[in-house]
Amino acid sequence: MADIRLKAEDGGQAEGLLERAKAGDLDAFDQLMQMHQKQVLSTALRLLGNMEDAQDAAQETFLRLYKSLNRLPDILEIKSWLYRVTVNVCNDAHRKRSRNRTEALSGPDPASTAPDPELMWLNQERGRLVEMALTTLPEKERAAVVLRDVEGLSTREVAGILGSSEVTVRSQICVARGKLKKFTDKYLRKRL
Amino acid sequence: MNCSEWEREIAGESESAGLKEHLAGCDRCREFTQELDANRMALRELTVHPTAFDAVRRRVLDEIQAKRRRAMWWSWPVAAAICAAILCLVYLLPRPRTQGPAAPKLVRVPEKAVPVVAQVAQVKEIARHKMARRRPGTGTSADAARKSACATCEPLTVKMLTSDPDVIIIWLVDQKGDSL
Repeated sequence: MADIRLKAEDGGQAEGLLERAKAGDLDAFDQLMQMHQKQVLSTALRLLGNMEDAQDAAQETFLRLYKSLNRLPDILEIKSWLYRVTVNVCNDAHRKRSRNRTEALSGPDPASTAPDPELMWLNQERGRLVEMALTTLPEKERAAVVLRDVEGLSTREVAGILGSSEVTVRSQICVARGKLKKFTDKYLRKRL
Repeated sequence: MNCSEWEREIAGESESAGLKEHLAGCDRCREFTQELDANRMALRELTVHPTAFDAVRRRVLDEIQAKRRRAMWWSWPVAAAICAAILCLVYLLPRPRTQGPAAPKLVRVPEKAVPVVAQVAQVKEIARHKMARRRPGTGTSADAARKSACATCEPLTVKMLTSDPDVIIIWLVDQKGDSL
């Protein structure tokens, strides 16, 4: 977990920010958010697949951070805490969205409900295709592959955040990568 | 091991020497590896416009300030209601009957308790003296003189204290111990 902790020199400054934020200083809390906004919003965007939902999730994550400031014992743990909460908030949002969209429940093949991938290929937007593929994964696999491949965390760190064993996470990442590749192949090869 | 099995090894980040050896001689698995890397890079390259970050922070800060305002708005009426409730309790609750300062209590200071037996003995002693003085002189004239002299004397008060401090037996005797 050491890698995702803040560096020691940043820790002192951040500790001061945390103390000021706990005392109700909104400027200090804003600075704390700036330090972690990329982490939270990027992760939420990968997990949810669209910016609107990702911004909602990021907002909820930071509001939870604000409410939990006094319970956070250590500024060094804030990064992993934010990853964990972001994943949970995104999972909740994903479930809520799935309940609201009946086609997501009944669709036999998630790819068949996606927008025309050929248009994406024409625009050379492989990224969007992968992003779309991510939304078709089960939430545990999606979180594991985002934290590992996008955020660059180690398998052990991902296991700590998701509350799973390293073996489970490794298996989830392996399966998720295979599914992503199958999804992209399905459309990219059409073009070829 | 066929290529499908090697692909699982590749996706699972195996670092076995056998895999490296296989990759060196298998185009299909090398392509599989490149595809995975391309997907990973594509995911990482998705950028978020800076305005999206600013928008999120603005929304969070607005929400916090709105909550604070709501908390302030509620705090005054709640405080006023609590004060009103306290005042009502103070004025409406039956008050205990107030009494002035306690009146000084009269305390009977018992006289020095003298045993009843001692008092009686004292009285008997006086009577004995009286008898002794009577014996030598038996003349009626002397008695009369003595009585007339004693009539002018102050009577003695004999107090007999009992074990009950409220009961004191008092009688008057002359100087010779005769009851008056």
